[in-house]
Formats: sequence, C-alpha cells, structure tokens
Amino acid sequence: MKIRTAFLIVSLSALLLGQAGAALVWEQKEADLHPALTDKTAVAHFKYKNTGDKPVKITSVHASCGCTTAALAKETVAPNESGEITATFTIGERSGVQNKTITVRTDDPTEPATILKLKATIPQLLQVAPMFVRWTANDELNPKTITVDVDPEYSVEKINVTSTDKSIKTEVAPVPDKKEFRITVKPTESGRPINASLKIEPVLKQEAHKSYYANVQIDSRAKMPAQ
Amino acid sequence: MRISLVRQLLLLLGLAFLPAIGQAVYYRNSISWAQPPVDSAPVSLAQTESWGGSVLWLDARPDEQFVRRHIPGALQLNEDRWDELLRAMLVQWSPTRKVVVYCSRESCHASHEVAERLRKEAGLTNVYVLQGGWEEWETAHR
Repeated sequence: MKIRTAFLIVSLSALLLGQAGAALVWEQKEADLHPALTDKTAVAHFKYKNTGDKPVKITSVHASCGCTTAALAKETVAPNESGEITATFTIGERSGVQNKTITVRTDDPTEPATILKLKATIPQLLQVAPMFVRWTANDELNPKTITVDVDPEYSVEKINVTSTDKSIKTEVAPVPDKKEFRITVKPTESGRPINASLKIEPVLKQEAHKSYYANVQIDSRAKMPAQ
Repeated sequence: MRISLVRQLLLLLGLAFLPAIGQAVYYRNSISWAQPPVDSAPVSLAQTESWGGSVLWLDARPDEQFVRRHIPGALQLNEDRWDELLRAMLVQWSPTRKVVVYCSRESCHASHEVAERLRKEAGLTNVYVLQGGWEEWETAHR
C-alpha cells in the first residue's frame, strides 16, 4: 500500500513540476487578424511573462514566410518580467486566408520551442474569374466573358476596364439584382500574337484604391469568325 | 499487484486527459488552423531535368533572394507583386510548357501557394512544385 501511494505521489509530483518549470507563459499563441481593404500590413502582438525563477534567453525567432517579420523587444527575460513579440505580416498581393507561424526558441529546457500562429483573412473586394482568357491557334476570335463578383460588404457602383492593347475591346454590364459585373472581351484583330492585360478599377464610395487585373492571350494563328 | 499497477496507470492517464478535455471544451469555438489541402503536384529535380527545355521555372521567393541567385532562366512570381509578375510570366507561358515553382527549401509554403493560385485563378494545368526547392537545386549544381 505504501509503495503504491509513494508511486502515485512521485508520478503526480513529476507531472506538476513539469508544468511549474515552464517559465515563459504566453498570453496567447494564436492571433486572428482581419485587416481592412486598404491595409498594407497586419500586426499581431504575442505577449509573454517569465513566471519561473530564472532568466530565459530567447535564442531565435523564425517566421515561416518571408512575408512575416517578428520583432523581439528583449533577448533575455528576467523572472517576473513581461514582454512581447510583434509579428508584422506584409499583405502584398495575397488573397484569402493566410496561415503563418513563428517559431520561438529559448534556452528553457522545459519548453525549448513555441509555435505562434497568425491567421489573416484578407478582404477581396472583387473576385475576377477567369483572370486569364486566351484564344489558341485553332480558335475563332469570338467574344469571351469574365465575371467580376463584388464582396457583399461593399457597394461598387461600376467598374472601369482598360486594356493595354487597343485591339482588345471590352464591354461592362452589371448583372441585375446581383453584386456582379460581366466583362465581354472582344478581340478585333488577328494575325499577330497578343498579350494584354485588362485593368479593372472599381468605383466605390469608400476609400479603397485598388486595381484588379485579368490577362488576355491570343495566338497569331487564331482567326476572326466568318461574317 | 499487477492489477493495481494497471489501475494506477489508468488513473494517471485519466489525470492527463482531464486538462486536455477541458481545453477542447473551452476552445471549441476557437479558430481553426487546419490548412486546406493544397493540390500541388510535387516533382523531383531529376524529373524536371528529364523534361529539358520545356520547363518554365518560377521563383516564388521574395525579391531580394531572387536577385541574389536563382535558377538560370527562372522568372519571378511571388505574392508580394502578384499582378505585375503574373502578367510578365503569362507572356512567356504556353500550354506546352511545364511550370515548375520553387521556394527556398522543402519546408517553405510559397511555392505551393503560387502553384495553387496559378491553377485556381489563371486556370493553368501542368503546374508542379519542386521538391526541396532552391536548396535542392543549389546543392545539385555546386
């Protein structure tokens, strides 16, 4: 009976001591960011406190992506001292949900590595599909349609479309009762390879100067349709 | 004696499970970190070499890494300057070419993300991700 009790006590003590030895305690290890349409970066703050009785040295901070930088205020954290790691995610021309991680390594043997997680949901005012239209050698140069969906949270009155190649004509039509536009792309010339881009600019009340693009490619052997 | 040892082990396991269950209940509505499955077709360096000149190499690393060194003939396509770089890339692209995207090393995600956008947004097929990335290519060509 005594052996059993001793075994139980030793096991429980080991379990509890293991927890107590973890010196850096993080306020949060996950950040859920929702940057605005015009934001260039999204910033997360990961706060920690050294609850142990010895200083903890942060030996390295490594982000999973070149698009994320992590700034550390202090390398050595004294007992009872607090601090934070500031992670800056550069949005660039990324879209959708982005999951990035930051690995923090310390000289604390009980928790030598901590993974901080950053999730950024990047708003997409317009969804252009397809954003690449092409006519191959055997195609007739009939018009093709590009659909532009508007994020329900925004009010886009109209869109302006300009082509880098004058032979590519475009017509924009809103879809009734839908937050959607259709762009009809009409090639008017054949006999030469064409690589053009269409700049799609939304006109909206909010301050959000962002352009979207679709690309057009025409093979020189594609023919105009018979009249 | 053996039975009591088993009971003690079960008791310890139970104690270990308690905080885990508590955490699962407490964070049940917490955000999910599960990455959606990325349909990147991985390809080995040896395989790309067998494809010869039909390969269109795309470097998904940040600008400064591309400027420092890159696979000869590779074009840049990263998500920092997606629109501009994609436009330049599509001029070089043709349906007969195999597009191989790479980033720094095996563990980086940029090549998978670029490959995914090329498939999903531009509708390209024949898009692959180089296993081992730039690190693998550099080691093989030292």
